[in-house]
Amino acid sequence: MDQPRVDPDQELVKRTQSGDAGAFDELVIKYTPRLYGLVYNMTSNHEDTNDLLQDIFAKAYRAIRGFRGKSSFYTWIHSIAVNMTLNFLKKRGRRFQLSLDDVDASIQNDKEFLESTATSSPVREADLSELQRRLNEAMMKLSDEHRAVVTMFHIQGMPHAEISKILRVSEGTVRSRLFYANRQLQNYLDEFRKNPVS
Amino acid sequence: MDEFDDNEIARLLRLKRYEQPPPGYFENFLHEFHRRQRDEMLRQPLWRICLERAHSLMLRLDVRSLASYPAAVAAVLVCAAVVSLKIYQQPETARVALQSPPTLSVPASAEGEWSLTSPVATQIFRTQPVRRFNESAQTHRAAAPPRYVLDSVPVSYESTFRF
Repeated sequence: MDQPRVDPDQELVKRTQSGDAGAFDELVIKYTPRLYGLVYNMTSNHEDTNDLLQDIFAKAYRAIRGFRGKSSFYTWIHSIAVNMTLNFLKKRGRRFQLSLDDVDASIQNDKEFLESTATSSPVREADLSELQRRLNEAMMKLSDEHRAVVTMFHIQGMPHAEISKILRVSEGTVRSRLFYANRQLQNYLDEFRKNPVS
Repeated sequence: MDEFDDNEIARLLRLKRYEQPPPGYFENFLHEFHRRQRDEMLRQPLWRICLERAHSLMLRLDVRSLASYPAAVAAVLVCAAVVSLKIYQQPETARVALQSPPTLSVPASAEGEWSLTSPVATQIFRTQPVRRFNESAQTHRAAAPPRYVLDSVPVSYESTFRF
């Protein structure tokens, strides 16, 4: 049985609810990098991510008085972020053309990046930058909901249970979406391996 | 193994953690957030800003039980303002009309009490052209013998004032 855990942000949340705007600033500073990764990997666009992040924190600030602590602040702010991003993606529809930044040039010199790719035979064979670009394209081919799950699980490293709380779906649904998304990504990347120039 | 398995996909996706915004983005984000909040606040009407300030002041003072009072007080004030405005704007003639019924039908019981000692009442009836001549004549002829009233001339020297 799950033990009720103390929310590490409880104090900051209470101070914000009492009208301390500085406490909310601390929450913004704390969660901006993490939420940026989440929103960016769902939208694949820096400008959209910036606008959405501003809206997300503005909405959270307006709504925080109604936050009763039934979930952690972490889950709550991630729910707002995912829902607002999904709504945005629905509105944006298919007019978006993939302008996604390929992997930063600097990251190919990153030690952790090199270590993580050194043992991988398919990765070794393919040009990393090109492979990453293909991966981004493959991500954009997923549905918004599947991309959200992939982003939270693979990129953000969240457990299934946390994702299910954020999306308000069962863990089984999360696992099934992940399975389906992985198959789609594999198919797309395998196709690229067999026919790299396409 | 040449195919991408789940681990391979996961490893590749983890690389996306390295995709970062331009340098200095996170440092400037809070300033940008404050600027947008200010802009948004300036677009709000003054009363809403005052209400929010009052609400947060109460919360800061830890008067939680009174936290919902500003809304209630504001609602009462608005209602009072609307009611007083309506009363103030109501024309005088309308009030007279409400006090006296719009038709000139005199109840049968009042017919007997009709006396010449009340010229004021006679004058009020004369100001309301709501009855046709024929109708008036029929009513009076049917109910009582004809009476004659001289306008604006007191029929009695008794005082008409009642205290």
